[in-house]
Amino acid sequence: MINKILAIAKQNAKEGLYYRFDLLLYIFNFIIEITVYVFIWLAIYNKGNQILGMTFEQVTTYYILVVSLNPIISWGINETMGNAIREGEILRELLNPISYFNYYFGIRIGELIESIIVGIITFIICALLFGVLLPSSLLNFIFFIIVISLSVVVVYFFELIIGTSAFYTNSIWGVEVFKRAILSIFSGMIAPISLFPEFLQKIANTLPFKDCIYTPISIYFGELNNIEIIQVILKQFIWILILYIIAKILFNKAVKSVTVNGG
Amino acid sequence: MIRNIKLYFSFLVASLKRMMEYRVDCLVGMVSQIAFQIIELVFIWIIFQHTDNIAGWNFEQLLLLYGIMMLSISITDLLFDSTYDIGKRLIRKGKFDTILLRPVHPLISVLGESETSTALGYMILSIVLIVSMLIKLHISITVLLIIKILYFGILGGFIIGGIQTIFSIAGFWTYKSNEVVWSVFQLHKLAEYPIEIYNRFIRILITIILPFAFASYYPAVDYLEIEQNYIIYIVPLITIIIWIIAVSVWNWALKKYRSTGN
Repeated sequence: MINKILAIAKQNAKEGLYYRFDLLLYIFNFIIEITVYVFIWLAIYNKGNQILGMTFEQVTTYYILVVSLNPIISWGINETMGNAIREGEILRELLNPISYFNYYFGIRIGELIESIIVGIITFIICALLFGVLLPSSLLNFIFFIIVISLSVVVVYFFELIIGTSAFYTNSIWGVEVFKRAILSIFSGMIAPISLFPEFLQKIANTLPFKDCIYTPISIYFGELNNIEIIQVILKQFIWILILYIIAKILFNKAVKSVTVNGG
Repeated sequence: MIRNIKLYFSFLVASLKRMMEYRVDCLVGMVSQIAFQIIELVFIWIIFQHTDNIAGWNFEQLLLLYGIMMLSISITDLLFDSTYDIGKRLIRKGKFDTILLRPVHPLISVLGESETSTALGYMILSIVLIVSMLIKLHISITVLLIIKILYFGILGGFIIGGIQTIFSIAGFWTYKSNEVVWSVFQLHKLAEYPIEIYNRFIRILITIILPFAFASYYPAVDYLEIEQNYIIYIVPLITIIIWIIAVSVWNWALKKYRSTGN
């Protein structure tokens, strides 16, 4: 099974990497995004403000990590899935000798290879441009990688849930935007969650998306002790299970009522 | 010239009507564009939980600046949206050859094919932001101010549209959906905030090299009466210069153009 997933991933990654020039432009866009953030915060710090115990170097590092992690977390399968459903490709996909969930997991891994390359290059360029803090310890860096890897799985099942709605609406645009809005606010992409007003912090703490961006960066800075990190990882496993079950139920229901174009 | 402009608008009306056929897509495009902008507004709001001004601009002033940029963007989106996918939609499929045969400048035909569902979203959001912030800042909304806002909004839209048109010629060589134009367009984000926060390099970039700041910052400074500024009077001149460059670059690209067809 793993071989099949990896074969699909390889195929998908090859297709993506064919458009190398596009990848360069994505990196360029990410750098513009960081530039805006860095200069806004610089203007605030220049007045001698100390914001909730974060130094300017930490804030800069925070945004560089956010933008480098952004493609890894938020480029997903939803566009591919939506197009497949709209154009009737879904019929072939359902008859594949590999299950639908595994097939798309392969595609997700393929995308991941692309996004990791974009993420790493963005990180290196921005580190040179703006300066960056290194991870607090090697162990924390390993935990950082583990938490992010699990996040990809959490987000994958969330994407499946969102994608299932395309069976009914035939258009995935609306829900895709909804997904991005939720992700960018409640994962801490727009700002560190500790700077949010209290009621937004409460919502962010109950949703699983905080552990996609904010928590791994806190681990990178060494703000969480080992017990807390283990708790985070356990929580992620529980979320994966919950989202998997929801995705499975919704998907099975949707497939039964599927009316595909041209079929 | 007049004939070209008339033709452009008749092309545009035709393509907008074509788009209106798909009402659901329109609605989704509009709502999602507002949602994207709201993410950014949440960011600004969170920042102002920790400071009372950014480079001397308070929350209301910053949102006014943001709204003015949105207004310019909505005009760009409405009129020049087709600059995005020249390569994919026209060049690769050979459709551009039929456009060349028309007795009108190809640029007019291409720009007239703009169909966008997101412009209305930008427009609604910008009007809400501008009006509510003017009221909050106790700036009296006179007829003169409304005319000024519309005038500079339209010019701002033409400035950004002109910049997009210049870079859209990349489609002649890449034959695909134009990520180049998108990347250049993304630079407008820099001009959503007061230029005082940037270093000299970025200031020069967004006022002289790619003058996005004239679509937002300079009009905003004028409405807010922060200081007497005469720079706003050169906005029409800048618009004209940008378009002279855009048309020349296009004519140059047309000479180099080789059809993909047989």
